[in-house]
Amino acid sequence: MRPFAKVADLRPDTASLRRALFLATGAGITAGGTVLMFSIFQSGGISWLEGALLTLFVPLFGQIAFGFAIAFWGFVILAIGGDRFDIMRTLPADEPGAVPGSTAIALPIFNEDPDRTFRGLENMFRSLEATGAGDAFDFFVLSDSNDPDRWIEEETAWFRLCSRCQAFGRIFYRKRRVSLHGKSGNIADFCRRWGGRYQYLLILDADSVMSGETIVRLARVMDANPEVGIVQTGPKIVRGTSVLQRFVQYATRSVGPLFAAGSNFWHLGGGNYWGHNAMLRLKPFIEQCVLPELPGRSPADRHILSHDTVEASLMQQAGYQVWFAYLEPGSYEEGPPNLTESLKRDRRWCQGNLQHFWFLFAPGTRFTNRIHIFFGLMAYLTAPMLVAFIILSSWESYRRQMFEVFSGSIDDPAPIAWAPAALLSITVVLLFVPKLLGFLHLAPRAREFGGVLRVLASTLLETLLSILIAPILLFFYTKFVVLTALGLRVTWKTQNRDAAGIPLSDALRTYAAPTAIGLAAAAAVYFRMPDLLLWLSPVLAGLVLAIPIAMLTSSESLGLALRKWGLLLIPEESSTPEILQNLDAQPNDPTLPPRGIFQVAISPEAQALHASLLRRSRVHARHKTEYLAALLQRLLSDGPQSLSRRELTALLWDPHAVEQLHRDIWLLPDQDLHPAWQHALRHFNERSELTNRRDIAQADISRHSTRTPNPQ
Amino acid sequence: MEKLSAGWDAACLRLEDFLRAHNVEPRERLLALTLTLLGEAKSLHATTPDVSPIACTMAHVAQVSDAWFAALAGDPERIARAKVAYFSSGRNDLFLDPSPPPEFVAAIRGAAIEAGPTLEFKSLLRKEVDYGAMEGIARETWDQFSWGHVLRTFLLWMGVFFAAWAAYVRFFR
Repeated sequence: MRPFAKVADLRPDTASLRRALFLATGAGITAGGTVLMFSIFQSGGISWLEGALLTLFVPLFGQIAFGFAIAFWGFVILAIGGDRFDIMRTLPADEPGAVPGSTAIALPIFNEDPDRTFRGLENMFRSLEATGAGDAFDFFVLSDSNDPDRWIEEETAWFRLCSRCQAFGRIFYRKRRVSLHGKSGNIADFCRRWGGRYQYLLILDADSVMSGETIVRLARVMDANPEVGIVQTGPKIVRGTSVLQRFVQYATRSVGPLFAAGSNFWHLGGGNYWGHNAMLRLKPFIEQCVLPELPGRSPADRHILSHDTVEASLMQQAGYQVWFAYLEPGSYEEGPPNLTESLKRDRRWCQGNLQHFWFLFAPGTRFTNRIHIFFGLMAYLTAPMLVAFIILSSWESYRRQMFEVFSGSIDDPAPIAWAPAALLSITVVLLFVPKLLGFLHLAPRAREFGGVLRVLASTLLETLLSILIAPILLFFYTKFVVLTALGLRVTWKTQNRDAAGIPLSDALRTYAAPTAIGLAAAAAVYFRMPDLLLWLSPVLAGLVLAIPIAMLTSSESLGLALRKWGLLLIPEESSTPEILQNLDAQPNDPTLPPRGIFQVAISPEAQALHASLLRRSRVHARHKTEYLAALLQRLLSDGPQSLSRRELTALLWDPHAVEQLHRDIWLLPDQDLHPAWQHALRHFNERSELTNRRDIAQADISRHSTRTPNPQ
Repeated sequence: MEKLSAGWDAACLRLEDFLRAHNVEPRERLLALTLTLLGEAKSLHATTPDVSPIACTMAHVAQVSDAWFAALAGDPERIARAKVAYFSSGRNDLFLDPSPPPEFVAAIRGAAIEAGPTLEFKSLLRKEVDYGAMEGIARETWDQFSWGHVLRTFLLWMGVFFAAWAAYVRFFR
């Protein structure tokens, strides 16, 4: 294999040839399937219903055909030992003392668990320090949290981390006063303030963890290739405990590499950006990738929700390449713990992807970006199409009183008798061969995944779960598309990343509709078209069983039991890499509870830290002072629950109000304080006393042990 | 008298808790500081007997503490930062020490909490994007579309349908 020293070595005709191969594979299969479908309908002329079915069939079949094409080419690439045109192959040989370009590592957060977030950050910081190149990197925690308790906890966690790692001046914390435009606005705010100081920006999610070595390698690849604007890594999903998390992380490890290699095969330098675990070149990002406004009637309509694909497109329009470091290890993220959380995320993505429609036909958008945008659109648009296809084909079957679409006509046989069976076989092949290829890809490393038999069992289990979950996704994706089409908004909500089961009441509320639809459809099919029941059973089973599926897949105990049995196992579960260790460790901090608003009100350290991070206004507007004084009075007498989030936040933004709150809490006799403050103060003092006694005891023990002569 | 004594007990406990919250060590110093500050508060209370012992004690301690931190920081505006630096220093034995060692003072004054590096502003200029023909079609649709039109059209055709159906029922069935 000839070396790939720099991206300039990639000739345009190589990229064109690969794209032609990929498109020909997908389009060829789609055309073949369409011809077969047409031949089934052709006999006796095509009715309007058959015409509609054929129209829906083409994009639906096309989606699985192109999915297969990506997996197929990915398998071929991995089977020959990897892609020659892997961006990480351009990494120059180690040069002692070479310092990578200055890089900011941004961690935008929004009401995330600070303990987990900052432990991940600590691991990354220490890992970077261990590479010896840590000085080139600064960390920025960019908080948009609107929960006052989270805000205080983040500040405290940041300060403790900096103290622990001696990282003041290396790890920064910024709380945004006005959280405009969600995550993209948060990043834009960083770029506006500090973007000029750095060459590169590594963007992470709150649950992202990347090893120091990987971060350094990315920066060095950016150094070596000035034409590259973005390098996206393929983060591995790890640390799952619920069934759903473990199912997803196994799926991304079995078939995921195929899709990753296949994607790189066709797009090469025309890749996509996923919004996190990726390194950006800051200068063109600031100058060329400011998100435009969409055509729309209201300001909310004009704001781009899913910024990453658009930024990748703008970066390429500016003449920079976007690469996918698809094999790069050391990049991790976590998955949603249950189906409900996963669907919440999908709803955001759905709305964001549908907005990208505007760029599909925009002059200047690169060909590869149009394909990414088109695939992103179809990921959700095919759901209502498939629903329509199932309904229409069932209706057509009912009309003919037989199952014609897949098994052939009885009273009006198709001209090609084998066409329905062939089409069904091809569809099954397209759907399940990627799973088989995934199994073959894992087989040589089966020991890391629990052994060949367990890999086989895991692949079968993963396939079964995919089949059961798919109809539920179908229902909700259809709903999301319809809601989005009706203009109903989706807000940027915190993702609950903790594995937690779905209570029965929540499951009933969320999944009653698909269950009811599934039962009604099953009854209708059973009484009117019993021959069709078997064919529709995979779809109907998922819908009818939506409630138990949602509850079982959210189960942590079942997920852990599967791990114990060696099923859905990934290598990181057998041997946890150092970068992922201690992320769940409980904070060894006796003064931590009470937390949040209680902490800043009672602990002199937390209060001083918070006040020192606030900007002191020289001007005190009278109405503002009076407003804050009234809030403070209510807070003391009626407790923190008496104030809304907005009121508490307003109070916390004012250093004088925070100082006054702290002072009053300590100054007022117990009987003048609300029971919530009394309890918190007592709790804090008891812990302080315990800590004090423990420190004295430890000091005494150590003094005693140093005095005791060693008997040897 | 008994009530007042209970009030001073509560003040003593609160003061101890406050000092412990400042990590004051060793225990001996904590007790000594408690007694000193409580004595000063009692003297002050004689001039303001209406104020509760807790309020009197804690107001006095807050004043003393602020003055100490202000002197330590060299600037009353930097009290909060000095407090943070004190907590980070680990010199809990020096809290409210009237003559802290110069190196400690220098360390407190030199400590800086950098929540962010020096700002280096960049302007982010949004570019107009040409969305092509789709934008024009969409704008025309939005300009012409209104739910009122949709409703009127719907009602019109419903009326036509029902009229035709009524006519059919009346004349042809």
